[in-house]
Amino acid sequence: MIPAEAHGTIALRASACTSCMICVRECPTWCIDLVSHTEQVSEAGARRPKTVNVLDAFRIDFGLCMYCGICVDLCPFDALAWSPEHDHGATTAAGLVQGIKELEMAWPPTQPPTGN
Amino acid sequence: MTLHSLPSLESRYRVTGHPQLRVTILDVGLACCALEVGAAITAGLLVPQESIDTESDGFVVSVLLISGTVTDALAPGIIRAWATLEEPRLAVSFGACANTGGPYWDAPTVTKGIDQLIPISVYIPGCPPRPEALVAGLVRLSQPSVVTHSDPSGESR
Repeated sequence: MIPAEAHGTIALRASACTSCMICVRECPTWCIDLVSHTEQVSEAGARRPKTVNVLDAFRIDFGLCMYCGICVDLCPFDALAWSPEHDHGATTAAGLVQGIKELEMAWPPTQPPTGN
Repeated sequence: MTLHSLPSLESRYRVTGHPQLRVTILDVGLACCALEVGAAITAGLLVPQESIDTESDGFVVSVLLISGTVTDALAPGIIRAWATLEEPRLAVSFGACANTGGPYWDAPTVTKGIDQLIPISVYIPGCPPRPEALVAGLVRLSQPSVVTHSDPSGESR
């Protein structure tokens, strides 16, 4: 019986990600790959358009991932969280790389993000 | 123990909840991941057997389970172990070190994924993976999408 708070895999909520790159830079094995671009957003009444990051790709290579959770701990926006899912083996090494779609399937985590 | 005289550590198991699956595992436990195999047995997920029934229907396979860090010094032993395993055989890579080198990805003496040495049928991620992930990986072996590698020279590496 796997406890609900188990650190099985890491889930992503892409809508909360601001592409700040903290997780990418702090990962000890450099297993996170993030691609983003900036867009100008004009709001009514604003003096000038603001620039926002738009997430294009977010990939975790679970072949390299040590499940240390540094990315989960450091994410300022709770876009990453632990999920008790554990059956994500693959028949090829490339199959261990998960993109936004797969990472979001593990969301919502059963354990609320710490600090909330 | 020298590389040329690996002791026979093959053990036969029944997988709880999957009666069709009967596996002979040669566990090459090289690092901490190997403890999870023991955990799977203690938790009753893998049940050791005196012998396995190869006659009745089901999925009977020899599994080379590589759990842990493969250094250059150990690489010939891995290849030898694979060559001596009885057919039908499949190799499972268990944990980050075996999959890609894991935390030692930039160490010059660590193999960056044992699929450089032998053909791997199932990769199980984790550092270490849960015992349940081991069972899930063994079940994955019996799925038709898994290629049975019989040639040790490995055309389909």
